[in-house]
Amino acid sequence: MVTHNKRLLAGLLLWYVVLSLWTAYEPADRQFWMLSSILPGLLVLVLVGTHRYLPLSPASYVLITMFLSLHTIGVRYTYAGVPAGAWLEYAVPLGRNEYDRIVHFCFGFLLTYPIEELFRLTVPLRGWLLYYLPVMTVLGLSGLWEIIESWVARMVHPELGITYLGSQGDVWDAQKDMAAALYGALLCVGLLLLYRRPRPRFSRSVAHSPR
Amino acid sequence: MKRTKLLLGLLAWYGLLWTVLAIAPRDRQDWLLENLLALAAVVTLVATYRRFQFSTPSYLLMTVFLSLHAVGAHYTYAEVPFGFWLQEVFGLSRNPFDRLVHFAYGLLLVYPLREILIRLAGVRGLWSYYLPVSGMLAQSGFFEIVEAVVAQIVSPELGAAYLGTQGDEWDAQKDMIAALTGACLCMALVMLSARAGWNGDFRSKV
Repeated sequence: MVTHNKRLLAGLLLWYVVLSLWTAYEPADRQFWMLSSILPGLLVLVLVGTHRYLPLSPASYVLITMFLSLHTIGVRYTYAGVPAGAWLEYAVPLGRNEYDRIVHFCFGFLLTYPIEELFRLTVPLRGWLLYYLPVMTVLGLSGLWEIIESWVARMVHPELGITYLGSQGDVWDAQKDMAAALYGALLCVGLLLLYRRPRPRFSRSVAHSPR
Repeated sequence: MKRTKLLLGLLAWYGLLWTVLAIAPRDRQDWLLENLLALAAVVTLVATYRRFQFSTPSYLLMTVFLSLHAVGAHYTYAEVPFGFWLQEVFGLSRNPFDRLVHFAYGLLLVYPLREILIRLAGVRGLWSYYLPVSGMLAQSGFFEIVEAVVAQIVSPELGAAYLGTQGDEWDAQKDMIAALTGACLCMALVMLSARAGWNGDFRSKV
């Protein structure tokens, strides 16, 4: 079991490193690539450093890798120019490249479970708080991300204002991004609750029921 | 007994202030919109008093925040006289009262949230400082989302008044930064006082 886990983790790490190297080769905007790679890089280092003391489940590592991969691809094309998003815009007339919004949604959807697991392992949480706190944390981190984004936009390209990269000129962009992450988190928690709902086990209860 | 008297005093103070400010608000519809959540909060606090009692400092902090909010709602935030005075004294380009209240939101309400998390969820150690801050930031973000939705649904001119962006494209982010700063400040103070030997974990209380 342990060796299996190790092989999986090594595989995920290898996949992420290869993908990162590909995006580092010639990103559309080197400065944006640098800035956007700091946080994911730190996260990977933390995960590698803590996997012995605080091992998460394989499912969590897979989810985190999926999210980081989506982010890395977005960074390669500066988000607003991701081909998949452009294709989606072409197929469904959306008016803008929705790739970044999708990744915001995935931030909530994919990372809520790892966060829930982190709480389960480190804080003895009870009942509804185990589901409420991860959603809250995702929304909090999402807000923090929007704050950082606004700082970067004002520091790097103050003249562009909200037309800079992420927002694509939408005044409500920050709110929509946070709402997307919230919906993703709620969907994940909903699925978890559905999966963990107390299920009556007919066969066993019949077998043990006194007659 | 002393605590009950103080709490009744807080309730009476808020009731009185709220009534006075409800008589002639600057904009009745905006006032109503702003007060929906505040009233819901007060009703919840009173209704759940028997089942969950906050510590006295928590009630005190919440009353201070609700009072600030009542004043803001009365003047539609962007036109609070105290804010105009601040604007003049510090030479600001806008009325900073709403930003100030966002800061107060983080500063004053993170402590009651921490109390809930510790007493209801059994949160310990470093988590008991991180999670309340994260929670305040999340609520602040959620509030900005609600604001955006309301502003887009309600008539645009009222939306602009309610929203209080006052023409700043980064308004939402700045509001969240204000709340985050307030929450961090309060948690830093609690951490320092805990280190100085003050019982800040609600163990012996209530």
